[in-house]
Amino acid sequence: MFAYIVRRLLATVPLLMIALYAVHVGISLTTDPRADFYLCLPRCQDGFDTITEAYNLDVNVWLRPFTWFASLLQGELGESSSIGEPVGEVLRSRGWNTALIAVPAFVISAVFALLLSVYSARHQYSKGDYFFTGLAFFGLAFPSFVLALIIQNVFGVQLENWFGIKPFNTGRKTGTNPLEILRDITLPVMSLSILFISADSRFGRASMLETLNQDYIRTARAKGLPERRVVWKHALRNALIPLVTLWALNFSVLLGGSVVTESIFSWPGLGPAFIRGLFDADIDLILGIVLLTGMFTVFFNLVADIMYGVLDPRIRLD
Amino acid sequence: MGYATLLTLVRGMSGTEMSEPLLKVDDMSVSFKTDAGDVRAVSNVSFEISPGEVLAVVGESGSGKSVTALALMRLHPKNTETTGQVMFDGMNLLDLPEPQIRSIRGRDIAMIFQDPMTALNPVFSVGEQIVEAIRIHNDVSKADAWAKVVDLLQLVGVPEPKQRAAQYPHEYSGGMRQRAMIAMAICNDPKLLIADEPTTALDVTVQAQVMEVLHDVQEATGSAMMLITHDLGLVAGSADRVQVMYASRLMERGSTDEIFYESRNPYTRALLASIPDLESVKDKLDSIPGNPPSLLNPPSGCAFRPRCSMSVPQCAEAVPELVAFGGNHASRCHLATEIDITTGVNA
Repeated sequence: MFAYIVRRLLATVPLLMIALYAVHVGISLTTDPRADFYLCLPRCQDGFDTITEAYNLDVNVWLRPFTWFASLLQGELGESSSIGEPVGEVLRSRGWNTALIAVPAFVISAVFALLLSVYSARHQYSKGDYFFTGLAFFGLAFPSFVLALIIQNVFGVQLENWFGIKPFNTGRKTGTNPLEILRDITLPVMSLSILFISADSRFGRASMLETLNQDYIRTARAKGLPERRVVWKHALRNALIPLVTLWALNFSVLLGGSVVTESIFSWPGLGPAFIRGLFDADIDLILGIVLLTGMFTVFFNLVADIMYGVLDPRIRLD
Repeated sequence: MGYATLLTLVRGMSGTEMSEPLLKVDDMSVSFKTDAGDVRAVSNVSFEISPGEVLAVVGESGSGKSVTALALMRLHPKNTETTGQVMFDGMNLLDLPEPQIRSIRGRDIAMIFQDPMTALNPVFSVGEQIVEAIRIHNDVSKADAWAKVVDLLQLVGVPEPKQRAAQYPHEYSGGMRQRAMIAMAICNDPKLLIADEPTTALDVTVQAQVMEVLHDVQEATGSAMMLITHDLGLVAGSADRVQVMYASRLMERGSTDEIFYESRNPYTRALLASIPDLESVKDKLDSIPGNPPSLLNPPSGCAFRPRCSMSVPQCAEAVPELVAFGGNHASRCHLATEIDITTGVNA
């Protein structure tokens, strides 16, 4: 098991390198940080040369990523030109802010998706099932920015006095005491949760329905087990396997920062930083975020693979 | 006490034992509600099982034999309607409250299912699953239940039961899984075992072994057994009584001998004739022409009429009643009294 985990973690190194190489080359081919300087050459030759040197722009595009890899090996992520701070510092503070909404959104959506899945599967084609199915399609059909704007309007503007939630101002700093943080994260967490509950409850319902039709569920009932135990012990453990896959993907996506939702709520997380980096051709920042999200994806996939083995003895890891 | 009074006493005792069935199914019907209409899977079936008796229920796929078994344990799907009465231990199983029927399931009536590959939960060890069946009905410690599981696995012929108990279903072969299912079914000494095609999904080579285990445990525990099968060969060796079902109805019932040698029903006779016989030389095996009828839209009169070699115009007019022939023997056929039972079915 330990050897398996080490092997899997080592195998991610080339994977991440390929991803980072592709991103580096892609950005270098499409943008040039010296764009503005071309207009004033040769008058501003000095500035042009400074940037050329800072970003190793005289190195061939296809070889340029290796200079970045070399500095990465020394623990150097570079400086974010758009934010004006070291990339490591940006990732730390922004990543923390993202986690503040990603973790609650993940937990809430996982719990609710699970409860709704079990309810809908046990009461297939009931009024409640149709209601939640309709709600889920509603949540899925709305683009996330529309949903976020509706939530902002309803809870931030129309119901201004609800729990003291106020509309967000752009550029506002996050609160520092727990109550302020709770107030600030409520709406983005709600917005993200609705999206993920909608998608996951559909998968969960299908998985649970399939499991409840298995012969071993009938065996469990024939033993005289109460329905509660049949559903929450015998069925759930089998039905969880596809959900674990989803949850691993969801969590790594959420921790990587949701570009749209965070931007709409002016949440100073990784999502808006990534957008800003893209617009400003801030290559070090983009690569830093790609590295971080890549590591999250790989790590939570590994967690999911380990969870499969825990849930289902037929899946052996060695 | 005089000899005569003793005799009447003994007679009286055995008499009450004989007349007190363990399970009495009275006029049970089961319908499935589907989008295409109601499907009647079981129509007005009545039968009894006495303590310790083996009753075989024989019929083709879709004849209603499995549904009968599931319905009397109330394990049928939600969209079904069951009418009639199922008396067990003085209770009507069909209208018992849920907690009470649950305490009967697995304790008084246990079931063995057709496909051992899918009937065990893949994510729990075989031992855990049997321990659960024991502990849901008995207040025993985990360790005691586990010890009993090892004994049970030994009893049903699982080698190295101590190690095997901790293994998962996927580490068992098909025959071993069915043995484990049998162990699970008998773990609470049920009064009635329902075996729904227990050997159908198994390799031919292990079918006989599993049947033997089932027979042995049934004798050892003294429980009654309802053996559902389409394999008449299985029936001959192990059943006291047989009832034949076709298209949701009981076609014929009687002792095993009566069914095999004095059958008064064309369907039973056709089934018997389709058993291959080692001695006769044939180009083609006998079979019953045609297919079982759709239960959504059953034929008028006798359901077997379209495939019956003996049918007469009367057969299309009315569903025949069960005609009794003394003892327990009865046949649902307009011509039941006219069938010549002296000719062998294989002739």
